[in-house]
Amino acid sequence: MWVDQDLTIEGLGTGVAPARTRRRPGTPVGSALGWVRDRLATTPGRLVLVSILVVVGAVCFGAIATGAEQSRERAAKSASSQTEPLLSQAASLYTALSDANATEATALLSGGLEPPTKRARYLADIGIATNALSELTREAGTSASAPLDTIANQLPVYSGLVENARANSRQGFPIGAAYLRAAVVVSTTKMLPAADRVYRTEAQRLDDDYRTGTATSSLITFIAASVAALILLLVAQRYVARISRRILNIGMLVATVAVAAIAVWGVIGLTSEQNSLSTAQQHGSDAAEVPSAAAVLLSRAQGDLSLTLVNRGTDETDALDFMAVERALPPLTRELSVLSRRTGATAAANRFDADYASYQAKAAQIQGLQKSGNLKDALALEPATATISDRLSSDLGGQVGAAQRRFTRAAADATSSLDGLAFAIPVITVLAALAALLGLRQRINEYR
Amino acid sequence: MRSRLRHLAGLAIIVAIIAGCGTASDQASKIALAALETRTPGTASSSPGSTTLCTSSLRPPATLPAPGKMPSGSFMAKIRKRGYLLAGVNAGLLDFGYFSPSTGQIEGFEIDLVREIAKAIFGNPNAYQPVALTVQQRIPSVQQGKVDIVVDAITMTCSRSKQVDFSTVYYDAKQRVLVPTNSPARSMGDLAHKKVCASASSTPVSVMQALPASERPVIVQEPQAVDCLVQMQEGQIDGISTDSSILLGFQAQDPNTMIVGPSLGDVPYGMAINKAHTDFVRFVNGVLAQLERDGTWQKLQEHWLGQFHQLEPPPKPEYEG
Repeated sequence: MWVDQDLTIEGLGTGVAPARTRRRPGTPVGSALGWVRDRLATTPGRLVLVSILVVVGAVCFGAIATGAEQSRERAAKSASSQTEPLLSQAASLYTALSDANATEATALLSGGLEPPTKRARYLADIGIATNALSELTREAGTSASAPLDTIANQLPVYSGLVENARANSRQGFPIGAAYLRAAVVVSTTKMLPAADRVYRTEAQRLDDDYRTGTATSSLITFIAASVAALILLLVAQRYVARISRRILNIGMLVATVAVAAIAVWGVIGLTSEQNSLSTAQQHGSDAAEVPSAAAVLLSRAQGDLSLTLVNRGTDETDALDFMAVERALPPLTRELSVLSRRTGATAAANRFDADYASYQAKAAQIQGLQKSGNLKDALALEPATATISDRLSSDLGGQVGAAQRRFTRAAADATSSLDGLAFAIPVITVLAALAALLGLRQRINEYR
Repeated sequence: MRSRLRHLAGLAIIVAIIAGCGTASDQASKIALAALETRTPGTASSSPGSTTLCTSSLRPPATLPAPGKMPSGSFMAKIRKRGYLLAGVNAGLLDFGYFSPSTGQIEGFEIDLVREIAKAIFGNPNAYQPVALTVQQRIPSVQQGKVDIVVDAITMTCSRSKQVDFSTVYYDAKQRVLVPTNSPARSMGDLAHKKVCASASSTPVSVMQALPASERPVIVQEPQAVDCLVQMQEGQIDGISTDSSILLGFQAQDPNTMIVGPSLGDVPYGMAINKAHTDFVRFVNGVLAQLERDGTWQKLQEHWLGQFHQLEPPPKPEYEG
């Protein structure tokens, strides 16, 4: 309690012991207040107080404004050079792993001799997956390291099983299909869920960057700090004008103009950064996420369709999964067509919709044949769906690429909107404070 | 002065509102992530049901009608009118009924029996259409009349014979054990407490579970019997126990395996026919008896199953009524 008693200021007392809250000369706070009281008594003293207030205000403004700007700039830079590229790698990993299943299932349908294009595509998928894996392992934080380890451990197991499936199928052995099934189980129960977790982690990190990078609170903080600094300067000038009877103070005026200028620059910069980053999200990364997800699901559907045939109708799981995926696709295709039309790619959207409709029709036909036990005709029809599926997935790949280019452009706009601000805010604030001090000093000197 | 401040504050609010409009909406991203959450629906697992066997069937007529001359009003006449026999078959059982990638046809021991039935009806063994069935589809497709007959490794249990009529036994499989050729095991008894695989909830699983604890293996269940062969090649299990017909196919696919030990139980296969078509059941039994008499059955056995298998005499038909 006795410490309180020394530090308690008049008017802020706890009310517990009013008698003790009275200021006693000799204590640090007491002497500071005494010093202020002494200054207030004379005009030059008041001017000194104003100078101190202006400096303190400038430091506060500089710190708050820089903080708000820095939070935006860090997030925008992280989104453009770190989290979005990682999300894009995670999407590649996910799509490639999913596509490898579909490609191999389709390849094995042809029996011993798989088409060379399918073989090449499977190998390309594995290459893309391993590249994305090493990229992600190097760059991603520890949040995604467990699922990345899972994929790194299971990928050799998976490809081993696939090669066994091929070797056995070349001899016409039904165990080839069983090996493929085992490979697909490794993929769908271990690798793909892990890829999904990596993807979601990276999507969340990018989302966090967007949230910080477009946070209106940063802008409001910046505006509030600027307004407060300007009010302080204007009030100070009015006060100085009243006590010194001089209307104009060049130093103070320069300081005000400088703060106003940096405020306008900052508001314009932050607003345009926010808009660009929103564009990067809406037209870039979000627009890439939808075709990425569609590509993953489409290859899953094609894999299911082929696997049903590879298993010669002995297993129902794949047929059921196909139906589940078919139910999940419409919201994505709707969103895809909204996104394509928004970017003016109406013709592409129409072509995609038509292709998807014919894919669905052909798939339904195959399933009908398969259900009625007509394996031969079902098999004969399968290459047609594989062709449409290939076209759809390369179309989706194109959409992902276009969206990523839009992201890169908009994200670059976002970061360049803030160029120089991080340097300008503290420097101009210091200069403004110096100008104000010089202006005030001129008045103080008039009393010497 | 005051009004200037007010203007400034007003300006700040307007700027904040305009800036707020630019705040990103992540609806597209949400749609993408939600779609990726699609789970694989589970399939209902079937239980083997009662394993009591009912192996007798209807007596065939003294003489079979000549091919192409089916008695009018008979189910065979109906099939003949259609032009081909609709037969439900297996497409994944090597040498019994399997889709051969090289010929693009389903072929095997069972398919050749179907061809013999087609030959008896039409005089033409090619007058049939195979329908590849899942295990779950076998009985319902006969009951619903989607196929005329199912020749798909159906064990003749009494519970099934209440749902469909069976022909006489056309193949008498046994539950046996398959081990790698370097395995010291020579019977199920040697595999006590070792891992033995069988297809999930199948009859072989129940048979192994019924063994005394000291002889019982650790049972590993896979969705399909052929998945057990994958497990064996990957060194995960010590043996596979299932129908000899299936094990013969496994041996054909992997010469590093062998069938050991005595039979653990009979697994007689019968052809399933709709209960309304007893004339067809008798006809098929007549065809089977004929095949066994003239040596066709034995030739087919040798052709499809002779590679690893000691040839066996044809199963003795049991008739009732």
